Amino acid sequence: MSGPIHASLAATNGALAEKYAAFVAASEGALSPELVALVRQAVAAVHGMGEGPDESALDEATRTALAYARRMPFEHTAISDDEAAAVTHHLGEPGFVAFSVVTALADAECRAAQVDLPELSGV
Amino acid sequence: MSTIPRVSSAIAGEPAHFGSVLAHQPEIAARFFELYGAFWGSDVLAARIKEVARMRNARVTECGFCRNVRFDKALGEGLVEEVVDDITDGYETSDKLTETEKAVLKFTDALIHDPELLNGDARTALQQHLTPQQIAELGLGVSLFLALAKALITMGLEPEQMDRTVLPTPAVLEAAE
Repeated sequence: MSGPIHASLAATNGALAEKYAAFVAASEGALSPELVALVRQAVAAVHGMGEGPDESALDEATRTALAYARRMPFEHTAISDDEAAAVTHHLGEPGFVAFSVVTALADAECRAAQVDLPELSGV
Repeated sequence: MSTIPRVSSAIAGEPAHFGSVLAHQPEIAARFFELYGAFWGSDVLAARIKEVARMRNARVTECGFCRNVRFDKALGEGLVEEVVDDITDGYETSDKLTETEKAVLKFTDALIHDPELLNGDARTALQQHLTPQQIAELGLGVSLFLALAKALITMGLEPEQMDRTVLPTPAVLEAAE
């Protein structure tokens, strides 16, 4: 896998790197690859790390999920019950759980990149 | 911030909490607890250092559950409440936190709040106090603390009220190895 957290671990602690990769794979594997990619792109854009996804051809469910994902980096305490219910309506409860984990991890990965965690870890 | 669960428990008879909600996704739960147990079980970085970072994250992300939990291993390494009380804004002037812990707190703030905080001096201090392997482990920990706090909050799993609670430090179960 790629990403700053795994890269820093891979260089220093192979066992933890493997377990982190397995956790991320399980989380992302519970959603469609297309949604995972869109969430990562949308969250990265909030952090100023690239362009957000083109949503013009996306269905309502996906647009609702992306609007929610964009709130995670800086507005997580302001997300309302209605916003959460809208995502759960489209993804179901198990899907919402996976989506919450994937979105929060996407945010953390961006932040780890912004402090250049691999460089700090000697990579 | 909601204190009403937005996801039901997936375990019959149990209220909605992090574990019972994560049980909707058994594979994610299994991999997470393996990772989290291995992270806390590793002695590359002292449990006290990890707990200092976790407490800072709890306060900045406003995670009430995280803020009220204490892991026993860090307690055994001297992270008493008088020290925890200093993990707040202005920690730089604390005489209870070590210089290593202050460098860790600056890194934590940079990762969870503002990357600009890890300026030249703060970066140098972190690398003086921690080895690359320790920084990698700290980076994993802070990232997990942040992600889990946000997932917990956004799933509505914040307790309405909670007393300070000392819990066994997460560990990899023998059966899971």
